Amino acid sequence: MFFRLLMESFRRQRRRKLLAGIAILLGTTAVTAMLALATTIGDRIHKELAVYGANIVVYPKTDLLDVKIGGVDVKPATGGSYLKESDLAKLRTIFWGNNITGISPELPVQVDATAPSGETLHANGLGLWFDHALTEDAHAQRMGAPALHPWWKLQGIWPHDSDAVVGAGLAAKWKLRIGDRLPVTLSTANGVTSGDARSFALRVSGIVSTGDKTEEQILLPLAMAQTISGLPGAVWRVEVSARTKPEDAFARKDPETLSPKDHDRWYCSPYANSIAFQIREAIPGAQAEQVRRVEQSEGTVLQRISGLMWLVSAAALLAAGFAVSAAMATAILERRGEIGLMRSLGASRSAIALLFYAETGLLAVFAGVVGYLLGSGLAAWLGARIFAGDGGAAEAVLNPVLLPVVVALALAVSIAGSTPSIRSALRMDPSAILRADA
Amino acid sequence: MALEIPVDSTTTTTNAAGPNPGEVIVTDNLWKTYVMGDQQVNALRGVNLRIRHSEYVAIMGPSGSGKSTLMNLIGCLDSPSQGRYWLNGHDVSQLNDDELARIRNKEIGFVFQTFNLLARATSLHNVELPLIYNGTPTAERTARAKEVLESVGLGSRMDHKPNELSGGQRQRVAIARALVNRPSIILADEPTGNLDSKTSVEIMALFQELHAKGNTIVLVTHEPDIAEYANRIVTIRDGVVAGDQLSTRNRNQQP
Repeated sequence: MFFRLLMESFRRQRRRKLLAGIAILLGTTAVTAMLALATTIGDRIHKELAVYGANIVVYPKTDLLDVKIGGVDVKPATGGSYLKESDLAKLRTIFWGNNITGISPELPVQVDATAPSGETLHANGLGLWFDHALTEDAHAQRMGAPALHPWWKLQGIWPHDSDAVVGAGLAAKWKLRIGDRLPVTLSTANGVTSGDARSFALRVSGIVSTGDKTEEQILLPLAMAQTISGLPGAVWRVEVSARTKPEDAFARKDPETLSPKDHDRWYCSPYANSIAFQIREAIPGAQAEQVRRVEQSEGTVLQRISGLMWLVSAAALLAAGFAVSAAMATAILERRGEIGLMRSLGASRSAIALLFYAETGLLAVFAGVVGYLLGSGLAAWLGARIFAGDGGAAEAVLNPVLLPVVVALALAVSIAGSTPSIRSALRMDPSAILRADA
Repeated sequence: MALEIPVDSTTTTTNAAGPNPGEVIVTDNLWKTYVMGDQQVNALRGVNLRIRHSEYVAIMGPSGSGKSTLMNLIGCLDSPSQGRYWLNGHDVSQLNDDELARIRNKEIGFVFQTFNLLARATSLHNVELPLIYNGTPTAERTARAKEVLESVGLGSRMDHKPNELSGGQRQRVAIARALVNRPSIILADEPTGNLDSKTSVEIMALFQELHAKGNTIVLVTHEPDIAEYANRIVTIRDGVVAGDQLSTRNRNQQP
């Protein structure tokens, strides 16, 4: 019977309810859009910031000490310690393995190359992955330096087998062109005598412009670099790109000093620090460090955007609450005669409050669901506009987890908004209302 | 027939002993004080009243006399600041809101000057309302509402909404609604205030009919000729019972 009363009541004052409903609808639309964006913004920002390179770097443990002069890393190309290339597959097996989106191992090798002019010149070579699958799986993600350095501009193609890509600076200096042969030998600087050095005939498959010191280098397939240097399976440094949680004070804690419970929480949070910690655990002899510049930019951007989103959401909900409050105040004022009548006929204050709250709640649920649908659409649209090129429009449009959250927020806002009016209505003297309601 | 008590004033009588058998309304030293800013206004100043079952009593008084306040207390729409009130043998002066709501639903049938019907509901649904609040099953609710609507002469108007009824018919629907729960008292607040003279006479005739069937009726009015339909007239002035006597019509009928 209560339902019949509720329905009868719900069908009345349609204009007022429409206004209150629109207020809730707009509020929940904005909140849904903000929440939907907020839940995916970490990934999106990470993708955007991935253009600035890796956020974790892995070294052999004994090769840690950075030697910088004027901001330039002058640490020797190799300190004699290496990681094993075969260990890199373990990176995907760590707790946050699925968050690792890019891996780029490096092996520097100093070579003497014979330029087309016939001159023998010294050059720095760098062995890299260009398009490497970590597993045999045909659908395995392709890893390598190009994915981690999307700003590199390549003419030609990335190298295979005995191909090489030459940095644009070096190519200009040596007048190298795509298709040229480039015989190289391991440089005598590496301690070999010229008589022992094996010659490798490389073919220039492309010329790459990188904007950094790589412009002056020869980029080789890692396997070739290992062969030239006589270090099979060796890797000197690995750049890792991982989706991480913005760094906070807890992230910076030393895991050794944490209680077991906090340690678990730290370990199971995708901080760059904890991922680096897990990499150290997975790869013996490895030291993994977070690249703070990228990580902090990501954290700062995320924090600012999240703050803005919370502000917009709170403002939208507050506005909806005020609008509901105003609409309900008028609606209840118009229905004070009915409230007085209900009380005189035996309805308790709680029963009347329940009826009005149920009516508001029904409106909130209805407007909340529609707001969720509209907000999801708005989020997809905004996502596509803000993160153009990210395939934003193709992202999942409806996030079912948000539905109960948004409906609960709509209920909370409408109940909070209508409470002052309902309370004042219940305080009214029914006999005075009934006499005045001519 | 109802028992009348011809007294001039009961302002000095104390009812502290509570109700005697056969009494439906007993008030003892009933006070109602409103606080307005830093002032206290005593709307009622110690009202003592006894009304027996099946009595037909009019409460009269000028505007501001306290008769509406008294009606609110008798109708359990408000609680006294001081004093006690027994309704149908139960002390209701200290009950909380929910308990008062149950008492109103069970013991009191209200009839208002402005009818106070739900505009969008049919006569039948309007009459069913009090039964809805006490959880009467649907079939019984409809049967009782129809029965009482027929008893007030609206058997053919059950499916009509208030705007399809005349003033007199609307008040009949309101009276049917007051009767449907078989209350201990019918509390009518200026029931003819919005009706023309002819319709007023018809409605007062209906009240007399209900009284003749044994219903207890308390009529609040400021119109002496309407009060004369009752058997007993209680006059309120300045928050006290200033007079309590048989109506002229009733006095003339006395042997």
